[in-house]
Amino acid sequence: MSGMECERLRELDAELALGVLPARERAEAVAHLDRCPECRERVGRLTAVGDGLLALLPRAEPPVGFESRVVTALGAAPVPKRRRRYRLRLAAAGAAAAVACGFGGWTVATVVEGAPAATSQHTDGGLREAALVSAGHEVGRIYAHTGDGGWVYMSVDLGSHARGPVRCLLVHADGSTTPAGSFPLHDGYGYWGAPAGTDTAAVTGARLTAPDGTVLATAHFSE
Amino acid sequence: MPGMWRIGLSLGRMSDEALLSGLATGDPELVVAFVRRFQRNVFGVALAVLGDTQLAEDVAQQTFERAWRHAQVYDPRRGSVRGWLTAIAHNLAIDTARARRARPVDPEDLDAMLGVVTETPERRALADDDAERVRRAVAQLPEEQARALVMAGIYGMTAREVADSEHVPLGTAKTRIRTGTLKVRTLLESEEKR
Ligand SMILES: [Zn+2]
Repeated sequence: MSGMECERLRELDAELALGVLPARERAEAVAHLDRCPECRERVGRLTAVGDGLLALLPRAEPPVGFESRVVTALGAAPVPKRRRRYRLRLAAAGAAAAVACGFGGWTVATVVEGAPAATSQHTDGGLREAALVSAGHEVGRIYAHTGDGGWVYMSVDLGSHARGPVRCLLVHADGSTTPAGSFPLHDGYGYWGAPAGTDTAAVTGARLTAPDGTVLATAHFSE
Repeated sequence: MPGMWRIGLSLGRMSDEALLSGLATGDPELVVAFVRRFQRNVFGVALAVLGDTQLAEDVAQQTFERAWRHAQVYDPRRGSVRGWLTAIAHNLAIDTARARRARPVDPEDLDAMLGVVTETPERRALADDDAERVRRAVAQLPEEQARALVMAGIYGMTAREVADSEHVPLGTAKTRIRTGTLKVRTLLESEEKR
């Protein structure tokens, strides 16, 4: 694509890349980027300037107590002594797609949040998750990170009678399994993460077993 | 699997991406490790834009909340976790600044910020990471372009606001922002090729 539209976008590319284009012009510009790979590539390269500027900002120590205030706000503390309700927040699909929109640079990506017709080409990578189920009840979640060499994380609440250590097996489509490792339970509750030791993109599920081999919970990743 | 017995033992060695994935589990130990690793970065960005400790703390907290909600959709192919958090903090800080202040930015703050992003002390001049390349590139710009770039890129000022603040026509402000951005990009790319 070239001509008038590209000419016009060229005038706005730096302001777009720095995230300071007023809303109406920004919507126009983003609509053009959706159609025009050349302009998209150029704006993508310009976003490195804005990102680079922000990387120069000095770090600063937040006020005392900041850390615990954040942890409390995220609902992660304090840790109750007795049974805890299994807790997880999931992003609304719409908001998630907005952040994952397709072209380069965080500045443009975040600017495009809320703009119409944002493409989402990169929703495949990153994190997979599934419920860990025992006797028909969700007892935890397992996450498989497909980037970075492949990691798995999980947290489970198997009830105070449950005894660890819990062994985690990753299950492949053909039914074969790869041991990922094991972790202890505290009052029936445990969380753990480790390198998966296998291609997590090819893993179809997971199985948690007790020391005697009893299956404690299973998970299936949806496609 | 020795050494992997408990996640606590390996938190410090976990990559930024791995730690972000762990954040989604909502477990206290992972959340604390994540916040501890990035809080100075996030708070620093918010404080630079807002110049107010209380507002900056609010923005920094919102940044972590947003990161938590969106941890599932972070895509490592598009940039670092640190860059992603920085962008979130920056956006929130600019929104907050816009809601709070009539004048976009204090001239003294702007001068101080120009100093921060262009100073090249001896030890830094030797460093050759991305940040120092940007610093050297901005330092080479004519002053009015460096000012326009900082106003837009750090304080989130539109071309119209830059024009008003610098008492120049809108077209001049737009040209300064664009020329400054393109020059920095060109300097960066020529240094990358060497
Ligand atoms: Zn174009």
